[in-house]
Amino acid sequence: MSLPQRPEAPHAKLRADHIAGGAFIALGVAVFIIGWDLPFGRIWAPGAGMLPKLMAAFMILLAAGIFINGKSQDRFSDISWSDWRHAALILGISAVAVSVYSWLGFLITMSLLVFALLTLVERKRILPSAIYAISLTVFAYWLFSVILKSPLEHGVLWF
Amino acid sequence: MGPVLDNLALGFSVALQPDVLLYALIGCLVGTLVGMLPGIGPLAGVSILLPLTFGLDPTKAIIMLAGIYYGSQYGGSTTSILLRIPGEAASVMTCIDGNAMAKKGRAGAALCIAAVGSFIAGTFGVILLTLIAPPLATFALRFGPPEYTALLILGLIFLAYMSTSSLPRTLLMAAFGILLGTIGIDVISGHFRFSFDIPELGDGIGIVPVAVGLFGLGEILSTPSSEVKGDVASPKLRELLPTKEEWQQSAWPIARGSVLGFFIGIIPGSAHIISSFVSYALERRISKHPEEFGKGAVAGVAGPESANNAASTGAFVPMLALGIPTGPVIAVLMAALLIHGIAPGPALVNEQPKLFWGFVASMYVGNLMLLALNLPLVGAFVSILRIPYSYLYPMIIMFCVIGVYEVNNSVVDVWIMLIFGAVGYALKKFNFDPAPLVLGLVIAPIFELSLRQSLIMSGGSWTIFLQRPISLGLIAFSLLLLGLAAWGMITAHRDWRAKLAEAEAGEKV
Repeated sequence: MSLPQRPEAPHAKLRADHIAGGAFIALGVAVFIIGWDLPFGRIWAPGAGMLPKLMAAFMILLAAGIFINGKSQDRFSDISWSDWRHAALILGISAVAVSVYSWLGFLITMSLLVFALLTLVERKRILPSAIYAISLTVFAYWLFSVILKSPLEHGVLWF
Repeated sequence: MGPVLDNLALGFSVALQPDVLLYALIGCLVGTLVGMLPGIGPLAGVSILLPLTFGLDPTKAIIMLAGIYYGSQYGGSTTSILLRIPGEAASVMTCIDGNAMAKKGRAGAALCIAAVGSFIAGTFGVILLTLIAPPLATFALRFGPPEYTALLILGLIFLAYMSTSSLPRTLLMAAFGILLGTIGIDVISGHFRFSFDIPELGDGIGIVPVAVGLFGLGEILSTPSSEVKGDVASPKLRELLPTKEEWQQSAWPIARGSVLGFFIGIIPGSAHIISSFVSYALERRISKHPEEFGKGAVAGVAGPESANNAASTGAFVPMLALGIPTGPVIAVLMAALLIHGIAPGPALVNEQPKLFWGFVASMYVGNLMLLALNLPLVGAFVSILRIPYSYLYPMIIMFCVIGVYEVNNSVVDVWIMLIFGAVGYALKKFNFDPAPLVLGLVIAPIFELSLRQSLIMSGGSWTIFLQRPISLGLIAFSLLLLGLAAWGMITAHRDWRAKLAEAEAGEKV
């Protein structure tokens, strides 16, 4: 005798387009709330809020269509998130680098950024990673700052 | 014809100056590398290297950046043929028969046919650009705000119609892009919009941080190094020459691909990608031996490679003549001109003849350079593919940061890039194409200004778009496309766009 099939959990029924459509509807609503005080103007004299509000409304309409049609699309649980750790680590390291960029300057920050990506994300050995990170950063500094005369942040360094 | 030849002579007098030649060569070299390397396409390449041009005059800057763009079309074929990895999206179709030829020991011949086909198509495209762009620009001088509004609407709808994603998804991305383009000070009323008291946002969100975030960083985030293969064989120089039979088999596909590609290139959308697919489908349909396609058919390499090069040249026509971008790469090139204080559009031919004709002439020279570079140096280029991806992407991230920071010397721009890197990663997971977003962001200021000017001109009557013949024609064409797309959705008809989406998905790294 076969066991009766368990009903599908609600989150398992969730489709990717439900999430995506819902997110864009929320974004559209947020635009209306944030831009509430922007004047729409009159049709013969459109105001600063006209295009953003028209686009937000259009976005909500399209997102609602995607949401409603989502039933026939891929399940949210079918999306492969196996690379999320890789992505989050890169984003996190880059965010730290950007936040200290003005303070530490180009040479130190970029050397640390490349070194951290190689050792923390790629699990490379420390010495080759350090040599590669410093060489690459010095080359980029020479190319941009010396050859192309582009202003790069000096930060705590004296030159 | 006389004035065209006189202007071309002026163009060559600019393009053949030693320093201009050097920048064209750098652009072509970098473009070839950008096209070859997985994870960095022409859009990210052009955006990242944009700051390199800040110290140059506008002519050299645009010549170098354009060299990166059309050079990437040449470079993309190398990884497709040798590794079955499309270095950039337009090379997806070349993977199929190009790699099959490589497996039969004809890698050198496939590379040679791809390079020669690209050269012929690129040169053909430039000839047509020379002939079409100036009269089109003269015609476009009649355009007022209603015509521009209608043209931009048509461009967006055409993009959505041609896209491999569904129409609502593409339009949603374009609307999101236009919405982002409204951030900053309203040029008509002076209102601050969505700037959250961040002074840097007063000038709006830049195209470069968004494009680099979506296409550079976003691609890296979703490509773990363990998934990138690095084994590659290098064909020897003497193996590069195709046989007489292979030349004969490639002649007509190159000719058809050149014509087809150029005209698809003029149409908004990711034309170079679409053109290679349409050319492949055409060649297979008219071939006497369709069963050979997928097993190393010469026409399956010659046609698509020629088409994507002709399309990348064709895409310059609307940019130069109308000031309208047909795709995200062209949008970034337009932004580059604007940064240098040059407004692309109908007036460009008359106001900046040296830049316009110097740019056109440099493309003739650039195509020659690429042919000379791609064949003898294929071994050297291939050796770059041996650098492990785990060492390559930290370098790309560093160049992304430098590139974005250098545009305005602003850390806020780098934060925007990081945010859009995450957005690009999420969009990819949910199957949204970010290209229309970039296009929407670029056209937002022109679109808003022309729409509001049109409404002010008409005293608030939307019928202004129907009262002027050019805008009426453009609106009617837009409605026709919407009707066709709706019909396709209702009848669930599986057309060439669905097949292209399948082919792209099948060849992803």
